Amino acid sequence: MSALAVHVLLVVAVVAQLLSALGLAVMRTAADRLHYTSAAFTVGPFCVLAAVLLHTGMTTAGYDTIATVGLLFLAGPVVVHATARAGRRRELGDPRPRPEERVR
Amino acid sequence: MNEFLLAATAMLAGFVPVGVVCLREGPIDALAALELAGALATTILLCLSEGFGRSFYFDVPVVCAALTWVSGLVFARFLGRHI
Repeated sequence: MSALAVHVLLVVAVVAQLLSALGLAVMRTAADRLHYTSAAFTVGPFCVLAAVLLHTGMTTAGYDTIATVGLLFLAGPVVVHATARAGRRRELGDPRPRPEERVR
Repeated sequence: MNEFLLAATAMLAGFVPVGVVCLREGPIDALAALELAGALATTILLCLSEGFGRSFYFDVPVVCAALTWVSGLVFARFLGRHI
């Protein structure tokens, strides 16, 4: 049962990472592409984390995997947000919302 | 070859579309692709570490995840302001 779960989790991880990469190539704007970058930071790594924990349990490898996936999970939103701000600054000169973009 | 090594090998195909975007699109699009490549490389290294069954190999993906974070922020900073 555990071996089957590991296989399923790894297949889901591979499909998620490949779909993220393909989605990045298919999209047209940087903002659209960043959504797929975010997906690659979360879905695939968490599936691999679950597979490793099921395969080895809470060993040194398990703790290292938790640290790695935790780092990716924390880094993803920060890096994607910084990239989006950089793109907006290059495009408009100022990353802050323009008056017509403000939500009322 | 166990299931983790197979998964790592299959994930390597993801570098092809990412590389195409890096080579053909603008700087911000290429940065998004580079960040995705970092996440992909970290996931592949995790699978390889588990696949080879050596616990000390797991230090490599930890470092890769940290460097993906730092390099993304550095590139975003310089692309947004100076380059």
